[in-house]
Amino acid sequence: MNTLVCIKRVPDTGARFALTSDGQDIDSRNLEFTISPHEECAVEEAIRIQEKQGGSTAVLTLGPEVASEQIRESLAKGIDRGVLLETDGSEWDPQATSQAIVNAVQSIQKTGTKYDLVLFGNESADSGDYQVGVRVAAALDWPCITGIKSIEFQNNQVVAKREAPGGWELFRLTLPAVVTVKEGINVPRHPSLRGIMTAKKKEIERIKPAKPELKLLKQNLRKPQEKSGEIQILGHGIEAVPAIVAKLKELGVI
Amino acid sequence: MGTLSDYRSVDYFNLDELLTEEQRQVRRTVRAFVTEKILPIIADCYEQQKFPEELIPEMAELGFFGANLQGYGAAGIDNIAYGLMMQELERGDSGLRSMASVQGGLVMYPIYAFGSEEQKQKYLPAMAKAKMIGCFGLTEPEHGSDPAGMETTAVKDGKNYVLNGNKTWITNANVADVAIIWAKTDDQIRGFLVEKGTKGFSTAKIDGKFSMRASHTGEIYLNDCRVPKDNMLPSVEGLKGPLSCLNQARYGISWGVIGAAMACYDEALKYCLERKQFDKPIASYQLVQEKLVDMLTEITKAQLLSYRLGQLKDADTLLHTQVSMAKRNNCRMALDVSRMARDLLGGNGITLDYQAIRHMTNLETVYTYEGTDHIHTLVMGADITGIQAFR
Repeated sequence: MNTLVCIKRVPDTGARFALTSDGQDIDSRNLEFTISPHEECAVEEAIRIQEKQGGSTAVLTLGPEVASEQIRESLAKGIDRGVLLETDGSEWDPQATSQAIVNAVQSIQKTGTKYDLVLFGNESADSGDYQVGVRVAAALDWPCITGIKSIEFQNNQVVAKREAPGGWELFRLTLPAVVTVKEGINVPRHPSLRGIMTAKKKEIERIKPAKPELKLLKQNLRKPQEKSGEIQILGHGIEAVPAIVAKLKELGVI
Repeated sequence: MGTLSDYRSVDYFNLDELLTEEQRQVRRTVRAFVTEKILPIIADCYEQQKFPEELIPEMAELGFFGANLQGYGAAGIDNIAYGLMMQELERGDSGLRSMASVQGGLVMYPIYAFGSEEQKQKYLPAMAKAKMIGCFGLTEPEHGSDPAGMETTAVKDGKNYVLNGNKTWITNANVADVAIIWAKTDDQIRGFLVEKGTKGFSTAKIDGKFSMRASHTGEIYLNDCRVPKDNMLPSVEGLKGPLSCLNQARYGISWGVIGAAMACYDEALKYCLERKQFDKPIASYQLVQEKLVDMLTEITKAQLLSYRLGQLKDADTLLHTQVSMAKRNNCRMALDVSRMARDLLGGNGITLDYQAIRHMTNLETVYTYEGTDHIHTLVMGADITGIQAFR
């Protein structure tokens, strides 16, 4: 089983962040960057698939040179190979991103590595477009399922489970396939210190895709007002019950 | 998930810009481990006087033990990454960092530096995996700052050495599988590997501690304890042996206490922004701001000291007097910062619901162990005047 995981470098914003003065981006000074959380789970899933099924694993990202940090983090966790589709750091829309990934997958396939499974996160933590995995599958003409929380293999097919209200939806996909996964599918490991040192020596393959004409442009970002975090005390003891009921009704809970 | 967390370490002077990708990645792994696994349980561990043993296998799996040694199953990270690891561990608790300090700096390091190849093969991979826990027996009931006066003896008897004496204030004594015992032979202080179960070797736990409660501390008794001469560390004689181990551990402490101070500062800053008195956050008052600024400034100065110390250690030009300065300064700093944080938290600051009092009481130990504040002062005093004040 050869698995490719596509990941995105996103700012680890935590609770507080600021926008740049032009409103075009998050102010990333003093911010750490991380792998988008759903994709972190995809990386973990690829490693577990390899541990059970053998085969190879690779991770790919489209982004500036510094995004190699997230590739290296994946390598430190145990992924075999890293591919960076290097850009100048400007934002690529989902169409352009998926086209570059498709081109890379096809060119890697020509060199002899046939991928059976391409994993994505369900959506990225920053732009949250939910598009790239689906677009890649469509362009490759592979089956695709999204929002998956369990992957198993039976008779050379993927059995994927998606959470549904009160139960699970089960899907079977023939290989090769594209699956986008959600947090909760596993608990991702942290790279060990030994893994970090080993990853330092692994080579990352770099491809510079031509920048296409972007058809989707970001206007600007706006930061919502921070929640006040104030606590309202509705009353004490039994006398508080009517106020609580009224509040629950107001909130639409009952 | 834990990767997206609220905690940011202090970086007022953009020191993160000086860190390599591996160094930041190491910090990230240790930080995530501490946030996810240690912080939720550490107050209970402290209250119940227990070390979180159940986490030792994961710490080993992540490569925390002997991380700056090369080969023998060790991770082989550089000394700045090692310092950052200690900083993050001590952000969790000084007891946690002590565990890693002792295992790596005080037991694996002397085996690595002074052991025979057989000793290295036998102990280092097992200790890196935490299949064996180690402890370091130097301090005695009557000899703390003055280890040269030790009373523990090792008398040669054919192919064996017979050890007699007592050691105290030994981190992990009561849980260790192997102890490094420093003892006087006829002419010199030598190090011996003594395994648990050896006849004449026994330990006891020290109870009633109001500091380092989430850490094992004990005593070691050696009564005609007979060990093969092959258990002696062959390549070091004299006080240089234990002192070079302490240099490793003190280096780690200089970084570690910065983590405890950062935890206290982070908590105090958040608290002061949220806590209102006289209808305003207490962070708006000048007396509070001064304390916060002092804390931040002192932490930043300590970071600069330790960062440079790490460069010197990686270049192998580090002097023990420089380690003394950093250990002394940073422990003072961390203790002061934790006290200020405790103060800013008011009454809440005395409960284990907050971190300040736990760090503060722990730091009383760190201030004293591995060379007291006084001793480091006099080591430096002797260095700059040429006059030893303690002889």
